[in-house]
Amino acid sequence: MIWQLDLSVLTLIVICAFATIMVKDLLSAAIIFGAYSFLMCLLWTEMGAVDVAFTEASVGAGVSTVLFFAAVHQTSRKVKPRKSGRWFSKIIALMAALLTGLVLIIAEADFPGFASPFSPASLHLSPYYITQTLHDTNVPNMVTSVLADYRGFDTMFETAVIFTAGLAVIAILRRYKKEDRCDLPEPYVISAGYPDTMIRFVARQLVPFIQLFALYVVAHGHHSPGGGFQGGVILGASFILLAVSYDSKMIIGRMSEKWNVLLGNIGVLIYAGIGFLCLLLGANFLDYSMLSKVLPATDKIMARSHGMLGIEIGVAIAVMAIVISIYINIISHGKYDKVE
Amino acid sequence: MDIVVVILLVIGLLFFFATTIGLLRLPDFYSRMHAAGKGDTLSSLLILLALVLYEFHEVNLANLLVAMKILLIVVFIFMASPTATHAITDAGFESGVKPWTKNPEEES
Amino acid sequence: MQSIIAGYNYWIYILLMMIGLYAMLAKNNLVKKVIGMSIFQTAIIVFYVSIGAKEHATIPIIAHGHGHGAVEAAIDAAHYANPLPHVLMLTAIVVSVGTLGVALAICLGIHRRYNSLEEDEIQEQLQ
Repeated sequence: MIWQLDLSVLTLIVICAFATIMVKDLLSAAIIFGAYSFLMCLLWTEMGAVDVAFTEASVGAGVSTVLFFAAVHQTSRKVKPRKSGRWFSKIIALMAALLTGLVLIIAEADFPGFASPFSPASLHLSPYYITQTLHDTNVPNMVTSVLADYRGFDTMFETAVIFTAGLAVIAILRRYKKEDRCDLPEPYVISAGYPDTMIRFVARQLVPFIQLFALYVVAHGHHSPGGGFQGGVILGASFILLAVSYDSKMIIGRMSEKWNVLLGNIGVLIYAGIGFLCLLLGANFLDYSMLSKVLPATDKIMARSHGMLGIEIGVAIAVMAIVISIYINIISHGKYDKVE
Repeated sequence: MDIVVVILLVIGLLFFFATTIGLLRLPDFYSRMHAAGKGDTLSSLLILLALVLYEFHEVNLANLLVAMKILLIVVFIFMASPTATHAITDAGFESGVKPWTKNPEEES
Repeated sequence: MQSIIAGYNYWIYILLMMIGLYAMLAKNNLVKKVIGMSIFQTAIIVFYVSIGAKEHATIPIIAHGHGHGAVEAAIDAAHYANPLPHVLMLTAIVVSVGTLGVALAICLGIHRRYNSLEEDEIQEQLQ
Protein backbone atom coordinates (compact mmCIF):
# COMPACT_ATOMS: atom_id res chain seq x y z
CA MET A 1 0.00 0.00 0.00
CA ILE A 2 2.23 2.77 -1.26
CA TRP A 3 0.11 5.85 -0.99
CA GLN A 4 1.99 7.88 -3.61
CA LEU A 5 1.36 5.19 -6.23
CA ASP A 6 -2.24 4.96 -5.08
CA LEU A 7 -2.92 8.66 -5.57
CA SER A 8 -1.17 8.99 -8.93
CA VAL A 9 -2.92 5.95 -10.43
CA LEU A 10 -6.28 7.22 -9.13
CA THR A 11 -5.71 10.59 -10.79
CA LEU A 12 -4.89 8.88 -14.11
CA ILE A 13 -8.03 6.76 -13.76
CA VAL A 14 -10.23 9.85 -13.37
CA ILE A 15 -8.61 11.47 -16.43
CA CYS A 16 -9.26 8.31 -18.47
CA ALA A 17 -12.88 8.16 -17.30
CA PHE A 18 -13.46 11.79 -18.34
CA ALA A 19 -11.82 11.14 -21.71
CA THR A 20 -13.88 8.02 -22.40
CA ILE A 21 -17.21 9.73 -22.19
CA MET A 22 -16.12 12.95 -23.89
CA VAL A 23 -14.60 11.76 -27.19
CA LYS A 24 -16.71 12.01 -30.30
CA ASP A 25 -15.60 8.72 -31.85
CA LEU A 26 -16.83 5.41 -30.50
CA LEU A 27 -13.72 3.41 -31.44
CA SER A 28 -11.51 5.85 -29.54
CA ALA A 29 -13.88 5.61 -26.57
CA ALA A 30 -13.51 1.81 -26.62
CA ILE A 31 -9.70 2.03 -26.71
CA ILE A 32 -9.56 4.55 -23.86
CA PHE A 33 -11.93 2.26 -21.93
CA GLY A 34 -9.35 -0.52 -22.38
CA ALA A 35 -6.66 1.75 -20.93
CA TYR A 36 -9.02 2.63 -18.03
CA SER A 37 -9.47 -1.08 -17.29
CA PHE A 38 -5.70 -1.66 -17.29
CA LEU A 39 -5.18 1.21 -14.84
CA MET A 40 -7.87 -0.27 -12.59
CA CYS A 41 -5.99 -3.59 -12.70
CA LEU A 42 -2.78 -1.80 -11.63
CA LEU A 43 -4.61 -0.05 -8.77
CA TRP A 44 -6.02 -3.29 -7.42
CA THR A 45 -2.64 -5.05 -7.57
CA GLU A 46 -1.18 -2.22 -5.54
CA MET A 47 -3.98 -2.58 -2.97
CA GLY A 48 -3.27 -6.29 -2.58
CA ALA A 49 -6.21 -7.70 -4.56
CA VAL A 50 -4.27 -9.85 -7.03
CA ASP A 51 -7.11 -12.23 -7.95
CA VAL A 52 -9.45 -9.34 -8.71
CA ALA A 53 -6.73 -7.65 -10.78
CA PHE A 54 -6.12 -10.85 -12.75
CA THR A 55 -9.83 -11.18 -13.51
CA GLU A 56 -10.12 -7.53 -14.53
CA ALA A 57 -7.05 -7.80 -16.78
CA SER A 58 -8.44 -10.77 -18.65
CA VAL A 59 -12.14 -9.90 -18.58
CA GLY A 60 -12.29 -6.12 -18.48
CA ALA A 61 -9.29 -5.07 -20.49
CA GLY A 62 -9.39 -8.06 -22.82
CA VAL A 63 -12.85 -9.34 -23.62
CA SER A 64 -14.83 -6.16 -22.88
CA THR A 65 -12.76 -4.08 -25.29
CA VAL A 66 -13.16 -6.70 -28.03
CA LEU A 67 -16.94 -6.80 -27.46
CA PHE A 68 -17.11 -2.99 -27.76
CA PHE A 69 -15.12 -3.15 -30.99
CA ALA A 70 -17.41 -5.83 -32.36
CA ALA A 71 -20.53 -3.85 -31.49
CA VAL A 72 -19.17 -0.59 -32.96
CA HIS A 73 -18.09 -2.46 -36.10
CA GLN A 74 -21.64 -3.66 -36.69
CA THR A 75 -23.30 -0.29 -36.03
CA SER A 76 -21.98 3.18 -36.65
CA ARG A 77 -18.84 4.83 -35.36
CA LYS A 78 -19.90 8.45 -35.12
CA VAL A 79 -21.55 10.19 -32.20
CA LYS A 80 -24.11 12.77 -33.22
CA PRO A 81 -25.02 15.61 -30.86
CA ARG A 82 -28.53 15.96 -29.58
CA LYS A 83 -30.79 17.95 -31.88
CA SER A 84 -32.71 19.97 -29.32
CA GLY A 85 -32.83 20.35 -25.59
CA ARG A 86 -29.08 19.86 -25.24
CA TRP A 87 -28.46 22.08 -22.22
CA PHE A 88 -31.63 21.02 -20.47
CA SER A 89 -30.68 17.35 -20.32
CA LYS A 90 -27.10 18.14 -19.29
CA ILE A 91 -28.22 20.38 -16.45
CA ILE A 92 -30.72 17.84 -15.14
CA ALA A 93 -28.13 15.04 -15.25
CA LEU A 94 -25.50 17.24 -13.60
CA MET A 95 -27.88 18.17 -10.80
CA ALA A 96 -28.84 14.53 -10.22
CA ALA A 97 -25.19 13.48 -10.13
CA LEU A 98 -24.21 16.33 -7.80
CA LEU A 99 -27.07 15.56 -5.42
CA THR A 100 -26.16 11.89 -5.22
CA GLY A 101 -22.49 12.78 -4.81
CA LEU A 102 -23.33 15.17 -1.99
CA VAL A 103 -25.29 12.50 -0.12
CA LEU A 104 -22.39 10.07 -0.52
CA ILE A 105 -19.82 12.61 0.69
CA ILE A 106 -21.90 13.31 3.79
CA ALA A 107 -21.97 9.55 4.42
CA GLU A 108 -18.20 9.40 3.93
CA ALA A 109 -17.59 10.98 7.32
CA ASP A 110 -18.70 7.71 8.92
CA PHE A 111 -16.41 5.48 6.88
CA PRO A 112 -13.66 3.60 8.71
CA GLY A 113 -10.11 4.82 8.35
CA PHE A 114 -8.54 3.96 5.03
CA ALA A 115 -6.60 0.67 5.07
CA SER A 116 -6.82 0.17 8.82
CA PRO A 117 -6.77 -3.41 10.11
CA PHE A 118 -9.55 -2.58 12.56
CA SER A 119 -12.23 -1.63 10.06
CA PRO A 120 -15.46 -3.57 10.68
CA ALA A 121 -15.12 -5.53 7.44
CA SER A 122 -11.95 -7.18 8.71
CA LEU A 123 -13.03 -7.99 12.22
CA HIS A 124 -15.84 -10.51 12.34
CA LEU A 125 -15.65 -13.40 9.90
CA SER A 126 -12.58 -12.83 7.75
CA PRO A 127 -9.98 -13.60 10.48
CA TYR A 128 -11.55 -17.07 10.67
CA TYR A 129 -11.14 -17.50 6.92
CA ILE A 130 -7.55 -16.27 6.98
CA THR A 131 -6.37 -18.42 9.87
CA GLN A 132 -8.35 -21.59 9.17
CA THR A 133 -8.18 -22.02 5.40
CA LEU A 134 -4.95 -24.04 5.41
CA HIS A 135 -6.16 -26.16 8.30
CA ASP A 136 -9.60 -26.85 6.85
CA THR A 137 -8.93 -27.23 3.15
CA ASN A 138 -5.14 -27.35 2.56
CA VAL A 139 -5.39 -24.59 -0.07
CA PRO A 140 -3.01 -21.63 0.44
CA ASN A 141 -4.94 -19.18 -1.76
CA MET A 142 -7.57 -17.75 0.58
CA VAL A 143 -9.62 -16.18 -2.19
CA THR A 144 -10.00 -19.52 -4.00
CA SER A 145 -10.95 -21.35 -0.84
CA VAL A 146 -13.56 -18.76 0.14
CA LEU A 147 -14.88 -18.58 -3.45
CA ALA A 148 -15.13 -22.30 -4.11
CA ASP A 149 -15.66 -23.85 -0.70
CA TYR A 150 -16.90 -21.52 2.03
CA ARG A 151 -19.11 -19.48 -0.35
CA GLY A 152 -19.66 -22.14 -3.01
CA PHE A 153 -23.38 -21.36 -3.51
CA ASP A 154 -22.59 -17.85 -4.76
CA THR A 155 -20.18 -19.17 -7.35
CA MET A 156 -22.65 -21.76 -8.58
CA PHE A 157 -25.34 -19.19 -9.24
CA GLU A 158 -22.77 -16.85 -10.78
CA THR A 159 -21.95 -19.55 -13.33
CA ALA A 160 -25.67 -19.91 -13.96
CA VAL A 161 -25.87 -16.12 -14.50
CA ILE A 162 -23.13 -16.26 -17.14
CA PHE A 163 -24.96 -19.08 -18.89
CA THR A 164 -28.18 -17.06 -18.79
CA ALA A 165 -26.38 -14.06 -20.31
CA GLY A 166 -25.22 -16.22 -23.20
CA LEU A 167 -28.76 -17.49 -23.73
CA ALA A 168 -30.10 -13.92 -23.59
CA VAL A 169 -27.71 -12.78 -26.33
CA ILE A 170 -28.84 -15.73 -28.47
CA ALA A 171 -32.48 -14.85 -27.84
CA ILE A 172 -31.97 -11.18 -28.77
CA LEU A 173 -29.77 -11.48 -31.82
CA ARG A 174 -30.09 -14.83 -33.47
CA ARG A 175 -31.93 -14.99 -36.79
CA TYR A 176 -32.73 -18.30 -38.38
CA LYS A 177 -34.84 -17.79 -41.50
CA LYS A 178 -33.29 -16.47 -44.68
CA GLU A 179 -36.11 -14.08 -45.43
CA ASP A 180 -36.35 -12.75 -41.90
CA ARG A 181 -37.72 -9.24 -41.92
CA CYS A 182 -35.10 -6.66 -41.12
CA ASP A 183 -34.66 -3.00 -41.91
CA LEU A 184 -31.01 -3.03 -42.85
CA PRO A 185 -30.13 -1.05 -45.98
CA GLU A 186 -27.55 -3.54 -47.25
CA PRO A 187 -26.73 -7.14 -46.36
CA TYR A 188 -24.39 -7.57 -43.43
CA VAL A 189 -21.71 -10.15 -44.07
CA ILE A 190 -19.53 -11.92 -41.58
CA SER A 191 -16.38 -9.86 -41.39
CA ALA A 192 -13.73 -11.59 -43.46
CA GLY A 193 -10.46 -9.78 -43.11
CA TYR A 194 -7.92 -9.76 -45.90
CA PRO A 195 -5.41 -12.64 -45.56
CA ASP A 196 -2.21 -11.42 -43.97
CA THR A 197 0.53 -14.02 -43.67
CA MET A 198 2.42 -12.63 -40.73
CA ILE A 199 -0.56 -12.09 -38.46
CA ARG A 200 -2.00 -15.50 -39.28
CA PHE A 201 1.32 -17.26 -38.70
CA VAL A 202 2.03 -15.64 -35.36
CA ALA A 203 -1.53 -16.17 -34.15
CA ARG A 204 -1.40 -19.82 -35.17
CA GLN A 205 1.86 -20.30 -33.26
CA LEU A 206 0.73 -18.48 -30.14
CA VAL A 207 -2.72 -20.00 -29.64
CA PRO A 208 -1.61 -23.43 -28.30
CA PHE A 209 0.60 -21.76 -25.71
CA ILE A 210 -2.16 -19.38 -24.69
CA GLN A 211 -4.48 -22.33 -24.16
CA LEU A 212 -1.80 -24.20 -22.20
CA PHE A 213 -1.36 -21.15 -20.01
CA ALA A 214 -5.11 -20.95 -19.47
CA LEU A 215 -5.20 -24.59 -18.29
CA TYR A 216 -2.25 -23.81 -16.00
CA VAL A 217 -4.19 -20.88 -14.52
CA VAL A 218 -7.19 -23.13 -13.82
CA ALA A 219 -5.13 -25.89 -12.25
CA HIS A 220 -2.76 -23.66 -10.27
CA GLY A 221 -5.51 -21.55 -8.76
CA HIS A 222 -4.96 -23.15 -5.39
CA HIS A 223 -1.42 -21.87 -5.00
CA SER A 224 -1.30 -18.62 -6.96
CA PRO A 225 -3.74 -16.02 -8.25
CA GLY A 226 -5.98 -17.71 -10.75
CA GLY A 227 -8.89 -20.07 -10.81
CA GLY A 228 -11.75 -21.07 -13.03
CA PHE A 229 -12.99 -17.70 -14.29
CA GLN A 230 -9.66 -16.31 -15.36
CA GLY A 231 -8.67 -19.56 -17.10
CA GLY A 232 -12.02 -19.83 -18.88
CA VAL A 233 -11.84 -16.26 -20.15
CA ILE A 234 -8.28 -16.76 -21.42
CA LEU A 235 -9.41 -19.93 -23.24
CA GLY A 236 -12.25 -17.99 -24.86
CA ALA A 237 -9.86 -15.16 -25.75
CA SER A 238 -7.59 -17.59 -27.59
CA PHE A 239 -10.51 -18.51 -29.85
CA ILE A 240 -11.32 -14.82 -30.37
CA LEU A 241 -7.67 -14.29 -31.40
CA LEU A 242 -8.14 -16.95 -34.07
CA ALA A 243 -11.38 -15.34 -35.20
CA VAL A 244 -9.78 -11.91 -35.48
CA SER A 245 -6.67 -13.02 -37.38
CA TYR A 246 -8.44 -15.43 -39.73
CA ASP A 247 -12.16 -14.93 -40.16
CA SER A 248 -15.11 -15.90 -38.06
CA LYS A 249 -15.97 -18.92 -40.23
CA MET A 250 -12.89 -20.67 -38.86
CA ILE A 251 -14.11 -20.82 -35.29
CA ILE A 252 -17.75 -21.29 -36.26
CA GLY A 253 -16.63 -24.48 -37.96
CA ARG A 254 -14.86 -25.56 -34.78
CA MET A 255 -17.21 -24.29 -32.08
CA SER A 256 -20.67 -24.35 -33.59
CA GLU A 257 -23.68 -22.96 -31.79
CA LYS A 258 -24.79 -26.39 -30.63
CA TRP A 259 -21.40 -27.08 -29.02
CA ASN A 260 -21.25 -23.68 -27.36
CA VAL A 261 -24.59 -24.06 -25.63
CA LEU A 262 -23.84 -27.70 -24.83
CA LEU A 263 -20.48 -26.87 -23.23
CA GLY A 264 -22.04 -24.04 -21.24
CA ASN A 265 -24.62 -26.50 -19.97
CA ILE A 266 -21.97 -29.11 -19.15
CA GLY A 267 -20.01 -26.57 -17.12
CA VAL A 268 -22.97 -25.67 -14.90
CA LEU A 269 -23.89 -29.36 -14.72
CA ILE A 270 -20.42 -30.32 -13.47
CA TYR A 271 -20.72 -27.76 -10.71
CA ALA A 272 -24.22 -28.74 -9.61
CA GLY A 273 -23.40 -32.41 -10.19
CA ILE A 274 -20.55 -32.37 -7.71
CA GLY A 275 -22.93 -30.75 -5.24
CA PHE A 276 -25.53 -33.45 -5.80
CA LEU A 277 -22.87 -36.14 -5.48
CA CYS A 278 -22.06 -34.83 -2.03
CA LEU A 279 -25.81 -34.87 -1.27
CA LEU A 280 -26.09 -38.49 -2.41
CA LEU A 281 -23.13 -39.50 -0.24
CA GLY A 282 -24.90 -38.28 2.85
CA ALA A 283 -23.69 -34.74 3.54
CA ASN A 284 -25.00 -31.27 2.76
CA PHE A 285 -25.13 -29.88 -0.78
CA LEU A 286 -21.62 -28.83 -1.90
CA ASP A 287 -19.95 -30.24 1.23
CA TYR A 288 -16.85 -31.66 -0.43
CA SER A 289 -15.48 -33.55 2.55
CA MET A 290 -17.81 -36.45 1.77
CA LEU A 291 -16.05 -36.93 -1.58
CA SER A 292 -13.34 -38.78 0.34
CA LYS A 293 -15.59 -41.84 0.14
CA VAL A 294 -15.48 -41.79 -3.66
CA LEU A 295 -11.94 -40.59 -4.40
CA PRO A 296 -9.25 -43.15 -3.55
CA ALA A 297 -6.70 -42.44 -0.83
CA THR A 298 -7.79 -38.97 0.21
CA ASP A 299 -8.80 -37.81 3.64
CA LYS A 300 -11.50 -35.26 4.29
CA ILE A 301 -9.21 -32.25 4.01
CA MET A 302 -7.68 -33.21 0.65
CA ALA A 303 -11.14 -34.13 -0.64
CA ARG A 304 -12.17 -30.50 -0.17
CA SER A 305 -9.17 -29.39 -2.20
CA HIS A 306 -10.01 -31.83 -5.01
CA GLY A 307 -13.67 -30.87 -4.95
CA MET A 308 -12.63 -27.26 -5.45
CA LEU A 309 -10.54 -28.26 -8.48
CA GLY A 310 -13.52 -30.11 -9.95
CA ILE A 311 -15.85 -27.15 -9.76
CA GLU A 312 -13.19 -24.79 -11.11
CA ILE A 313 -12.96 -27.00 -14.20
CA GLY A 314 -16.74 -26.79 -14.61
CA VAL A 315 -16.65 -23.00 -14.31
CA ALA A 316 -13.82 -22.73 -16.85
CA ILE A 317 -15.69 -24.81 -19.44
CA ALA A 318 -18.89 -22.78 -19.01
CA VAL A 319 -17.16 -19.39 -19.16
CA MET A 320 -15.12 -20.32 -22.25
CA ALA A 321 -18.17 -21.47 -24.18
CA ILE A 322 -20.26 -18.42 -23.27
CA VAL A 323 -17.51 -15.90 -24.08
CA ILE A 324 -17.08 -17.46 -27.53
CA SER A 325 -20.84 -17.57 -28.05
CA ILE A 326 -21.39 -13.90 -27.12
CA TYR A 327 -18.53 -12.78 -29.37
CA ILE A 328 -19.71 -14.76 -32.41
CA ASN A 329 -23.28 -13.55 -32.00
CA ILE A 330 -22.23 -9.91 -31.80
CA ILE A 331 -19.68 -9.95 -34.62
CA SER A 332 -21.91 -11.79 -37.07
CA HIS A 333 -25.09 -9.95 -36.05
CA GLY A 334 -26.73 -13.26 -35.24
CA LYS A 335 -26.43 -14.78 -38.67
CA TYR A 336 -23.62 -17.34 -38.22
CA ASP A 337 -23.49 -17.53 -42.04
CA LYS A 338 -25.65 -20.64 -42.02
CA VAL A 339 -29.21 -19.51 -42.39
CA GLU A 340 -31.23 -22.66 -42.58
CA MET B 1 23.68 -6.82 -8.31
CA ASP B 2 21.34 -4.09 -7.13
CA ILE B 3 23.21 -1.51 -9.19
CA VAL B 4 22.64 -3.48 -12.39
CA VAL B 5 18.92 -3.81 -11.60
CA VAL B 6 18.57 -0.09 -10.99
CA ILE B 7 20.53 0.80 -14.14
CA LEU B 8 18.35 -1.50 -16.28
CA LEU B 9 15.16 -0.04 -14.77
CA VAL B 10 16.32 3.52 -15.40
CA ILE B 11 17.27 2.77 -19.02
CA GLY B 12 13.89 1.09 -19.54
CA LEU B 13 12.13 4.15 -18.18
CA LEU B 14 14.19 6.43 -20.43
CA PHE B 15 13.13 4.41 -23.46
CA PHE B 16 9.49 4.62 -22.37
CA PHE B 17 9.86 8.37 -22.01
CA ALA B 18 11.35 8.61 -25.51
CA THR B 19 8.46 6.48 -26.86
CA THR B 20 5.89 8.80 -25.33
CA ILE B 21 7.59 11.93 -26.68
CA GLY B 22 7.78 10.31 -30.11
CA LEU B 23 4.09 9.38 -29.96
CA LEU B 24 3.14 12.98 -29.26
CA ARG B 25 5.54 14.96 -31.41
CA LEU B 26 6.12 12.97 -34.58
CA PRO B 27 4.20 14.28 -37.61
CA ASP B 28 2.16 11.39 -38.96
CA PHE B 29 0.67 7.96 -38.31
CA TYR B 30 3.48 5.78 -39.68
CA SER B 31 6.34 7.47 -37.81
CA ARG B 32 4.27 7.33 -34.61
CA MET B 33 3.85 3.58 -35.10
CA HIS B 34 7.65 3.32 -35.41
CA ALA B 35 8.04 5.00 -32.03
CA ALA B 36 5.21 3.11 -30.33
CA GLY B 37 6.03 -0.36 -31.59
CA LYS B 38 9.78 -0.44 -31.18
CA GLY B 39 10.11 1.66 -28.05
CA ASP B 40 7.33 -0.22 -26.27
CA THR B 41 8.83 -3.64 -26.89
CA LEU B 42 12.36 -2.66 -25.92
CA SER B 43 11.38 -0.88 -22.71
CA SER B 44 9.21 -3.79 -21.57
CA LEU B 45 12.10 -6.17 -22.24
CA LEU B 46 14.58 -4.09 -20.25
CA ILE B 47 12.29 -3.71 -17.24
CA LEU B 48 11.45 -7.43 -17.20
CA LEU B 49 15.16 -8.31 -17.47
CA ALA B 50 15.77 -6.10 -14.45
CA LEU B 51 13.12 -8.11 -12.56
CA VAL B 52 14.77 -11.38 -13.62
CA LEU B 53 18.13 -10.21 -12.24
CA TYR B 54 16.41 -9.11 -9.03
CA GLU B 55 15.16 -12.65 -8.46
CA PHE B 56 18.74 -13.94 -8.27
CA HIS B 57 19.35 -12.39 -4.86
CA GLU B 58 19.25 -15.88 -3.44
CA VAL B 59 19.48 -18.83 -5.79
CA ASN B 60 17.03 -21.61 -4.96
CA LEU B 61 14.49 -23.57 -6.93
CA ALA B 62 11.52 -21.26 -6.35
CA ASN B 63 13.36 -18.14 -7.51
CA LEU B 64 14.73 -20.01 -10.52
CA LEU B 65 11.21 -20.97 -11.56
CA VAL B 66 9.97 -17.39 -11.16
CA ALA B 67 12.90 -16.13 -13.27
CA MET B 68 12.07 -18.68 -15.99
CA LYS B 69 8.43 -17.62 -15.99
CA ILE B 70 9.42 -13.98 -16.43
CA LEU B 71 11.71 -14.99 -19.32
CA LEU B 72 8.77 -16.78 -20.96
CA ILE B 73 6.77 -13.54 -20.68
CA VAL B 74 9.70 -11.77 -22.41
CA VAL B 75 9.55 -14.26 -25.28
CA PHE B 76 5.80 -13.78 -25.59
CA ILE B 77 6.07 -9.99 -25.70
CA PHE B 78 8.86 -10.27 -28.27
CA MET B 79 6.58 -12.29 -30.54
CA ALA B 80 3.27 -10.54 -30.02
CA SER B 81 4.07 -6.83 -29.78
CA PRO B 82 5.74 -6.38 -33.22
CA THR B 83 2.90 -8.39 -34.80
CA ALA B 84 0.38 -6.03 -33.24
CA THR B 85 2.33 -3.03 -34.57
CA HIS B 86 2.33 -4.62 -38.02
CA ALA B 87 -1.41 -5.21 -37.81
CA ILE B 88 -2.16 -1.60 -36.88
CA THR B 89 0.12 -0.20 -39.59
CA ASP B 90 -1.40 -2.51 -42.21
CA ALA B 91 -4.89 -1.47 -41.17
CA GLY B 92 -3.88 2.17 -41.54
CA PHE B 93 -2.44 1.55 -44.99
CA GLU B 94 -5.52 -0.34 -46.18
CA SER B 95 -7.75 2.50 -44.90
CA GLY B 96 -5.80 4.97 -47.00
CA VAL B 97 -3.83 7.01 -44.47
CA LYS B 98 -1.34 9.05 -46.48
CA PRO B 99 2.25 9.52 -45.29
CA TRP B 100 3.49 12.97 -44.34
CA THR B 101 5.45 14.82 -46.97
CA LYS B 102 7.79 17.69 -46.35
CA ASN B 103 6.68 20.18 -49.01
CA PRO B 104 2.93 20.90 -49.03
CA GLU B 105 2.84 22.18 -52.62
CA GLU B 106 3.58 18.68 -53.94
CA GLU B 107 0.21 17.45 -52.70
CA SER B 108 -1.92 19.60 -54.93
CA MET C 1 -1.88 14.27 6.21
CA GLN C 2 -3.32 10.82 6.75
CA SER C 3 -6.85 12.14 6.78
CA ILE C 4 -6.28 14.04 3.54
CA ILE C 5 -5.03 10.85 1.86
CA ALA C 6 -7.96 8.85 3.21
CA GLY C 7 -10.41 11.55 2.19
CA TYR C 8 -8.84 11.81 -1.29
CA ASN C 9 -9.27 8.09 -1.87
CA TYR C 10 -12.93 8.00 -0.95
CA TRP C 11 -13.75 11.20 -2.85
CA ILE C 12 -12.15 9.85 -6.02
CA TYR C 13 -14.45 6.82 -5.87
CA ILE C 14 -17.46 9.05 -5.43
CA LEU C 15 -16.26 11.18 -8.37
CA LEU C 16 -15.88 8.10 -10.57
CA MET C 17 -19.35 6.90 -9.67
CA MET C 18 -20.81 10.29 -10.50
CA ILE C 19 -19.00 10.38 -13.86
CA GLY C 20 -20.61 7.05 -14.68
CA LEU C 21 -24.03 8.27 -13.52
CA TYR C 22 -23.75 11.47 -15.56
CA ALA C 23 -22.79 9.50 -18.67
CA MET C 24 -25.78 7.20 -18.23
CA LEU C 25 -28.20 10.12 -17.87
CA ALA C 26 -26.94 12.86 -20.16
CA LYS C 27 -25.29 11.20 -23.13
CA ASN C 28 -27.26 10.78 -26.32
CA ASN C 29 -25.52 7.75 -27.77
CA LEU C 30 -26.51 4.31 -26.48
CA VAL C 31 -22.97 2.90 -26.48
CA LYS C 32 -21.81 5.87 -24.41
CA LYS C 33 -24.49 5.02 -21.87
CA VAL C 34 -23.19 1.45 -21.74
CA ILE C 35 -19.66 2.78 -21.17
CA GLY C 36 -21.02 4.91 -18.32
CA MET C 37 -22.59 1.80 -16.79
CA SER C 38 -19.23 0.02 -16.92
CA ILE C 39 -17.45 2.97 -15.30
CA PHE C 40 -20.05 2.93 -12.49
CA GLN C 41 -19.56 -0.81 -11.93
CA THR C 42 -15.76 -0.60 -11.76
CA ALA C 43 -15.95 2.35 -9.35
CA ILE C 44 -18.06 0.23 -6.98
CA ILE C 45 -15.45 -2.53 -7.24
CA VAL C 46 -12.67 -0.06 -6.35
CA PHE C 47 -14.65 0.94 -3.26
CA TYR C 48 -15.05 -2.62 -2.01
CA VAL C 49 -11.42 -3.53 -2.66
CA SER C 50 -10.26 -0.45 -0.77
CA ILE C 51 -12.32 -1.55 2.23
CA GLY C 52 -10.45 -4.85 2.22
CA ALA C 53 -6.99 -3.30 1.99
CA LYS C 54 -4.79 -3.17 5.05
CA GLU C 55 -1.63 -1.23 5.73
CA HIS C 56 1.62 -3.23 5.70
CA ALA C 57 -0.32 -6.32 4.66
CA THR C 58 0.55 -8.73 1.92
CA ILE C 59 -1.58 -10.49 -0.69
CA PRO C 60 -4.06 -13.09 0.58
CA ILE C 61 -1.99 -16.12 -0.37
CA ILE C 62 -0.19 -17.96 2.41
CA ALA C 63 3.47 -18.19 1.48
CA HIS C 64 4.66 -21.73 1.24
CA GLY C 65 7.84 -23.29 -0.02
CA HIS C 66 8.04 -25.08 -3.29
CA GLY C 67 7.39 -28.48 -1.79
CA HIS C 68 4.08 -29.36 -0.20
CA GLY C 69 5.15 -29.27 3.41
CA ALA C 70 2.79 -27.90 5.99
CA VAL C 71 3.26 -24.30 7.03
CA GLU C 72 4.43 -24.18 10.60
CA ALA C 73 4.42 -20.47 11.32
CA ALA C 74 1.38 -18.93 12.98
CA ILE C 75 -0.88 -17.07 10.59
CA ASP C 76 -1.74 -13.62 11.86
CA ALA C 77 -4.89 -12.13 10.39
CA ALA C 78 -3.51 -8.60 10.31
CA HIS C 79 -0.71 -9.63 7.93
CA TYR C 80 -2.96 -10.55 5.04
CA ALA C 81 -5.38 -8.44 3.07
CA ASN C 82 -9.03 -9.23 3.72
CA PRO C 83 -10.09 -11.89 1.17
CA LEU C 84 -13.85 -11.51 1.57
CA PRO C 85 -14.35 -8.32 -0.52
CA HIS C 86 -12.09 -9.83 -3.18
CA VAL C 87 -14.38 -12.83 -3.53
CA LEU C 88 -17.48 -10.64 -3.84
CA MET C 89 -15.80 -8.48 -6.45
CA LEU C 90 -14.69 -11.48 -8.52
CA THR C 91 -18.34 -12.37 -8.90
CA ALA C 92 -19.17 -8.72 -9.66
CA ILE C 93 -16.62 -8.46 -12.47
CA VAL C 94 -17.75 -11.63 -14.20
CA VAL C 95 -21.42 -10.68 -13.91
CA SER C 96 -20.59 -7.23 -15.28
CA VAL C 97 -19.08 -8.72 -18.43
CA GLY C 98 -22.21 -10.80 -18.92
CA THR C 99 -24.33 -7.67 -18.51
CA LEU C 100 -22.08 -5.84 -20.99
CA GLY C 101 -22.62 -8.57 -23.58
CA VAL C 102 -26.41 -8.41 -23.21
CA ALA C 103 -26.40 -4.56 -23.27
CA LEU C 104 -24.38 -4.49 -26.51
CA ALA C 105 -26.68 -7.12 -28.03
CA ILE C 106 -29.68 -4.88 -27.21
CA CYS C 107 -27.87 -1.92 -28.84
CA LEU C 108 -27.36 -4.01 -31.98
CA GLY C 109 -31.01 -5.02 -32.01
CA ILE C 110 -32.12 -1.39 -31.65
CA HIS C 111 -29.79 -0.31 -34.48
CA ARG C 112 -31.18 -3.03 -36.74
CA ARG C 113 -34.76 -1.90 -36.12
CA TYR C 114 -34.42 1.90 -36.07
CA ASN C 115 -31.16 2.39 -38.02
CA SER C 116 -29.77 4.76 -35.42
CA LEU C 117 -28.02 4.64 -32.07
CA GLU C 118 -29.01 8.11 -30.89
CA GLU C 119 -31.63 8.42 -28.23
CA ASP C 120 -33.54 11.41 -29.62
CA GLU C 121 -33.80 9.97 -33.15
CA ILE C 122 -35.18 6.72 -31.75
CA GLN C 123 -37.71 8.61 -29.66
CA GLU C 124 -38.82 10.56 -32.75
CA GLN C 125 -39.40 7.33 -34.63
CA LEU C 126 -41.34 5.89 -31.74
CA GLN C 127 -44.02 8.56 -32.04
